[in-house]
Amino acid sequence: MLEFFILSYSVASLSGLLVGSVSNILSTSRSITFGLTMLHAILGGSLLGVYLNLIFNLDLPIPLISTLVAICLSIMVGELVEKGFSEDMSIAFTVSIATTMTIVFGYLSSQISSIALARAWSYIAGTSAISTFQDLLKLAITLFIVLPITHLFFREFKYIAFDEDGSKALGLNIRVYRYMFYSLAAISASVLSSTIGVLATHVVLSVPGFLILKFSKRLSIAFTYLSSVSIMILGYYLASLLSIPPSGGVGLVSIVAVLGVVVYGRRY
Amino acid sequence: MVNELLVENLTVLYDGLTALENVSFTLDSPFFTVVMGPNGAGKTTLLKTILGLVKPASGNIRVYGLNVFKENKKIKHLAGYIPQVININLHIPMTVKEVVGMGALSKTFPPRILDKKTEEEVERTLRLVELENYSEKEFKTLSGGERQRVLIARALIKKPRLLLLDEPFSMLDFDIKCDIANLLVKLHREMNVDVLLVAHEISPCISFEPEVILLNKKVYAVGRAADVLRLDILRKAYPGVTELPQGFIIGEDHA
Repeated sequence: MLEFFILSYSVASLSGLLVGSVSNILSTSRSITFGLTMLHAILGGSLLGVYLNLIFNLDLPIPLISTLVAICLSIMVGELVEKGFSEDMSIAFTVSIATTMTIVFGYLSSQISSIALARAWSYIAGTSAISTFQDLLKLAITLFIVLPITHLFFREFKYIAFDEDGSKALGLNIRVYRYMFYSLAAISASVLSSTIGVLATHVVLSVPGFLILKFSKRLSIAFTYLSSVSIMILGYYLASLLSIPPSGGVGLVSIVAVLGVVVYGRRY
Repeated sequence: MVNELLVENLTVLYDGLTALENVSFTLDSPFFTVVMGPNGAGKTTLLKTILGLVKPASGNIRVYGLNVFKENKKIKHLAGYIPQVININLHIPMTVKEVVGMGALSKTFPPRILDKKTEEEVERTLRLVELENYSEKEFKTLSGGERQRVLIARALIKKPRLLLLDEPFSMLDFDIKCDIANLLVKLHREMNVDVLLVAHEISPCISFEPEVILLNKKVYAVGRAADVLRLDILRKAYPGVTELPQGFIIGEDHA
């Protein structure tokens, strides 16, 4: 029991750290809607993975396929923005591709296997209530990659979000940083999706960044991590109290946090 | 005499539409030049192309003898760019120190931490733009004129030879426009910085007559303000103009 408790809250803490490392930049670079691309890309990618495994009788890891699809579509967003399309239009375009993948591969998979959609849905909703050592390891490896890179280039991401033209004039290669960030966000979202589900990941990714923009004057990194880890731990705790999957608990805590900010914002 | 800024047969296209057409002019240092023209005339595009941020369809630009497209890194060190304040994302919490530090840190490598020496340099540059004791203030809490000064400081900290300013008088009160204009003249005279700015007006506060480039996709005139801002010439760039506007205020600020 103690082992399960330690494992669950370790997964929650590492998920929180991963969320914190990406959320700050996602919010500051006004890329909250970019989360939509990731959400739909991971959905489409997971159904593509399920379909490929069924049709070719393979055992491809679905998170890997969904990560690759998310990275490809994220880079497509970056490339379209670079070509002069607005970010909203680029996101809408890639989301339409990902949604088409979801519908087509969802339909094709359901024609072959009756449990295919259920398998994909468990990945999407994060219905697994049990944290495994594999989850912990996956999160630790992802953190080991994502955390140093986001911190090393944090100022660049911040400068670009603050003044893109000025940053270009100072010699920053916006395209490289944009691709780097989109790829890091896609990897993080995909790994988080396999622990708390795609839907909860989509909600929770933007919350700490949103809180920091509302409450912190200095984009305090400590505040981001504190809020993201708190949301995850409280979410897991709530889930265990209500006997629901962790994704449900995390989603509920995120909603309460956002509502709290909205009410606070109206009063003050 | 060396042409410090040479623009030759420059044509820029955006999605097949012409932003600049066969633009040519030369400026000899020291210069304080105002690019004037109606909205959509390609003024900002011209500044960005000079910096190498926009690739032209054809043409040649040399800044202090350097080819903008082949020696772009050197140009970016030589030139300080001050964008329009409306293009800045004020939702990002940035202190004045961080904004000015951006200019200094562009020469360093990640994680680009502000060290003691850079902080002192930031303070020195803030004194130049008359913003002592502002370093810890939030950029978004400053007035329009103060924000403009901070952005000028960010460009100055690199010790540029050329300042490129995109509508620095935009959305400022008359007095503040005068302050900014006088600051630019002071920097031009005391620090020998060449100035090329885009504006809808020539500030009446400027104590000397700057050079003017009249632009509306093409260059219609280059020369002293009194020679260029004549009704017969203005009508070519501004087809709707029927009389000479007072104080040379033409067009509208971008809002």
